[in-house]
Amino acid sequence: MFLRLLLESFLRQRRRRLLAGLAILLGATAITTMLALGTSIGDKINRELNSNYGANIVVYPKADTLDVEVAGVAVKPATNGSYLREADLPKLKNIFWRNNIVGISPELPLTATLNGQRISAVGLWFHHTVSGTGSGNGQSGQSSNDAFTTGAPIVHPWWKLNGAWPDDASPNQAVAGANLAQRAGLHIGDAVTVNDKPVRITGIAATGDDTDNQLLIPLALAQQLTGQSGAVRRVYLSALTKPEDAFARRNPDSLSPRDHDRWYCSPYANSIAYQVDEAIPAAHAEQIRRVAQSEGQILSRISGLMWLVTITSLVAASFAVSSAMATALLERRREIGLMRSLGATQTTIASLFFLETSILAIVTGAIGFVFGSLIAGRIAVQIFGSQIPFNFVLLPVVLALSLLVAIAGSAPSVRLALRLDPATTLREDA
Amino acid sequence: MTLSLVTLLHRSLSHRQSRALHAWIALTVSAAISTALLSLYTGLDAKLHHEFRSFGANALITVTNPRGVDAATLTAIRSAAGPGAEAVPFGYAVGSTASHEPIVLAGTDMAATRRLNSWWQVSAWPQETPQNDPEILVGSRALSQLEAKDGRAALSYGSRSQTFQIAGTVHTGGAEDSRVYLPLAAFTAFTGAPASTVEVQIPGNAAQVNAALDRIRTQLPHAAEVHPIRQLVEGETRIVDRTRALIFGSLVLISLMVAVSVLATLSSSVLERRRDFAVLKALGSSQAKLQALFLLEALALSLAGVVSGFILGAIAAIAIGKINFGAPIFPTAAILPPVAALNLVVATLAALLPLRVLRRLQPASLLKGD
Repeated sequence: MFLRLLLESFLRQRRRRLLAGLAILLGATAITTMLALGTSIGDKINRELNSNYGANIVVYPKADTLDVEVAGVAVKPATNGSYLREADLPKLKNIFWRNNIVGISPELPLTATLNGQRISAVGLWFHHTVSGTGSGNGQSGQSSNDAFTTGAPIVHPWWKLNGAWPDDASPNQAVAGANLAQRAGLHIGDAVTVNDKPVRITGIAATGDDTDNQLLIPLALAQQLTGQSGAVRRVYLSALTKPEDAFARRNPDSLSPRDHDRWYCSPYANSIAYQVDEAIPAAHAEQIRRVAQSEGQILSRISGLMWLVTITSLVAASFAVSSAMATALLERRREIGLMRSLGATQTTIASLFFLETSILAIVTGAIGFVFGSLIAGRIAVQIFGSQIPFNFVLLPVVLALSLLVAIAGSAPSVRLALRLDPATTLREDA
Repeated sequence: MTLSLVTLLHRSLSHRQSRALHAWIALTVSAAISTALLSLYTGLDAKLHHEFRSFGANALITVTNPRGVDAATLTAIRSAAGPGAEAVPFGYAVGSTASHEPIVLAGTDMAATRRLNSWWQVSAWPQETPQNDPEILVGSRALSQLEAKDGRAALSYGSRSQTFQIAGTVHTGGAEDSRVYLPLAAFTAFTGAPASTVEVQIPGNAAQVNAALDRIRTQLPHAAEVHPIRQLVEGETRIVDRTRALIFGSLVLISLMVAVSVLATLSSSVLERRRDFAVLKALGSSQAKLQALFLLEALALSLAGVVSGFILGAIAAIAIGKINFGAPIFPTAAILPPVAALNLVVATLAALLPLRVLRRLQPASLLKGD
């Protein structure tokens, strides 16, 4: 009998079911969209920050001497001082957070003569392939043997190149910074001599930073010119990091083993730098505070904003759904009155209504989840140019919310209807 | 007629209070969410650009005249850069440590640098001290090279040597770590060199920054080279634009979803009043009068909803601004028209759509059957 009542209720009063269903569907769609955006926005903005601001960690030789340079021009010849070994760099792709390192750019600055004129130059990777040796213990199942192509253009995304980057293996190609090109009258395709070596200019780079005054050459050529084979002065890393909090600033060596693990396994700029120090003992890595600190602040502001907007939307959608549920039930007082006068107990009626509401909430909530995920994906493609995958962790959350809001919305009306005398209810509209 | 219509309206709203209450709640929610999100959207630009100040200077001016950055140049740059901009002079020279290692000496306005470069991790900033014994700020990597004794370090420039009181260290992970910073007056007194560059921070997007830089170029036609720091200017513009697009997307989506849900609720509530409709019609009301009654009822509810919703939405926007940005975001008067328009459209549609359905029904059969 109970089941038949339930079935009939769905079959007969379709218009009323339609209102409640539509309200839950819209609410669930809106909430899924906002939750899907809210949970993935941190990652999207993080990548966006990373691809705009480039390196946030710098690696120096531990026994380093001072940089004596003003506006990117080294005042002291770069031949003395200590170096990192280029051969050590693949170890960077073996650290715990290796998958968070999205760019590696080693540099070897030098002073050279260009057509007899003293200039500053820098040796760089342009399209260099790094492959990890696979001995890391990273958190994801991804193989660390993935070949990974990186270089200065990835770590300095704001550099604008006219022409082509030099071939990393080539001993006679170079790109000139825009100011240098203007000063020295260089054009793409020009043949010049650098320290008596013939070199061809393959491109002109406008960088808007100190590199505008420099000649950009392959690292191998720079090592050859300085006579420091395999040497690297410093390495810039671009890493996806978590905004720094009070815990991130703790000294890892003073933490309890448990906290140390938690610190080590959080992708803070500091913990990635710490792992780089472990991987290359002769190196000292640290965050570039101008980029890392500001990125962290922007990231937490934008994700904070998105969460607050999500919560506001959630409250609004809940109210909209509740008032739809209440309206749908308000009109069913006569039905309740009739059932009661035919001998149904209050418990039976209440369970009938709640079961009915629950089925409706689960079914429409699930459809809303699919719609919401699709809409969130579209928005992400529009704004960030990348998809948000279906996040099935959100499904139970959305279903639970739909259920909660639908029942909470209809409960007062059901209770009110049950309290009324059936005779009054039945006569009311007659 | 007007009187009777108002009476009818009053009765209709007060008789079935819970129905009117739910309609009012629904319209309030719809107005509140669009007020809150529109306020955020319009206030976001200023708030986000403010956050990006933490990146520091976004343009560099190299002064080419031999007097360097004098007071007149700095004033001209500040006035051309516009309100909210920060301009800090820097001078650089290469001196040496006690052990004759070369080291970069920098001179700057300490108080202004502190405002500009919030990412500098400084143990203690130099105090305002008499000119003859200035305090200096030492880069974290430079500290070990200075062989400081009793908190004082000896520096030389050319043939001159002097010991300075070390106020604290600066750590940034950048070139600053290898330098020694002196108050600008002390730097000029020691090295004889004036400040030669000005780091400028101009709030706003790429277009606003470039416009300000153009003004600086025209103010100082042959005294300066002006370079935007592309890394910062372009990044800021892109991220602010994307965040605004995101909030705009959420705004449209949520407002429409809630509006449609409210529309369904209200029209269903009107549809349930077929009995009222039939009675009025049987008593001789014309379709036009009925429409006017239902419409007036919807508009009254909708206006009440806009008022309460606007207040609630404003509270939400202010709270979100305070929680997230530390400063409230106030709704502007300009957002009231779209909020009110959306709500009125929803209420009007909710009143008129069901009437089209009811029009076809015969009052007699409605009253008899249901």
